Amino acid sequence: MAKAFMAYPELRDPYVVKDIHPKGCATVLYQGKATVLSDIGSGDGLLINPKDLQEINGFEVKPEGACFEDLCIPLNDRLLVDQSGRQWFDLAAFADVLDQPYVADQQANVWSFAEIPAKRENTLVNAMAPDLELTDRSGNVLKLADLKGKKALIVTWSSW
Amino acid sequence: MPVWQRIYQEINDPNFVLICAAQDTGGEAAAGPIFDAANPTYIQVIDEDHLVSSAFNFVNVPSAAWIDEEGRIVRIDEGTYSKVHELGAGDQTISFGTDVYEPALKDWVANGAQSKHVESAATVAANIRNHSADQQKADAAFCLGNLFRRHGMGGNADHYWEMAAQLNPDSVNFIRQNLTLSEEGSAGEQFRAMRDNFERTGKDYYRPINIES
Repeated sequence: MAKAFMAYPELRDPYVVKDIHPKGCATVLYQGKATVLSDIGSGDGLLINPKDLQEINGFEVKPEGACFEDLCIPLNDRLLVDQSGRQWFDLAAFADVLDQPYVADQQANVWSFAEIPAKRENTLVNAMAPDLELTDRSGNVLKLADLKGKKALIVTWSSW
Repeated sequence: MPVWQRIYQEINDPNFVLICAAQDTGGEAAAGPIFDAANPTYIQVIDEDHLVSSAFNFVNVPSAAWIDEEGRIVRIDEGTYSKVHELGAGDQTISFGTDVYEPALKDWVANGAQSKHVESAATVAANIRNHSADQQKADAAFCLGNLFRRHGMGGNADHYWEMAAQLNPDSVNFIRQNLTLSEEGSAGEQFRAMRDNFERTGKDYYRPINIES
């Protein structure tokens, strides 16, 4: 039988099975980046070392709150959790506060977060280009923000 | 892709950047050869996670945004065909695309804010699709599926890709991307059923182009 038009079943699963992260870790996906966290708490939510927050989504835990640029989310005992004599930051509770959708695979301990709605307002309301970072085929990292001073056309296409 | 290379060369303006982003879970294996065949000098991105579609709330390809020197979007989300295409022959010929997009683009690059094709921030904001929380969650599910696939766990990948398609049934990208990796391919019976359903229920397969020629 002739191969169907635009069918690549051989590309469905070309990879060798490998662990997503070492045992006892969690992986967070956000804006195309995977961050493997080795320092995590146990129990409900996703308890991370507060110092890892900035690497994940740019927010920084400060005395006045979890802050990104002008936005500061006040901390409370849902976001900062005491466990085993340590203080953890609950990334899942933070997403709930931000109305940020996410999907978690509990078994694999992988958490995938959608964009933070507050970071989208400048695009959705003011029509400003989103804060998007892409890697081209040569491995160069391209930030839309760095294109200022030039006109840009960004076009999507697909092989299918 | 060769058409975009021609247009890019014709525009030939150092202050104009063209980024073509393949929305392709199949990655370099699927999209790379198509890029290579065009000998492109524009910026080539293979966007396995469909980050561009997610950032601009696109639901189909080809779609595009025009971004001006200040970082403001001045046109968005149109079926960005660079010319009229025809598929098939005789009575079965399907034609799609438009020949008004290319001249409009060239006019904007030449004339900037003075171009009649530049839209106001309010118009652009109104033309960006409004995505529900479920549709945003669909993007997260899709990326999770891709991570599993890259780690050789196809069953888990399928689970999350299906979830993405269900959470955002408006996404032609998710539906067709999934079909691509099936025996049937992305233009078979299931695709035609989806397209018929879009037409029957009045959903737009592309947002209509509104360009004065």
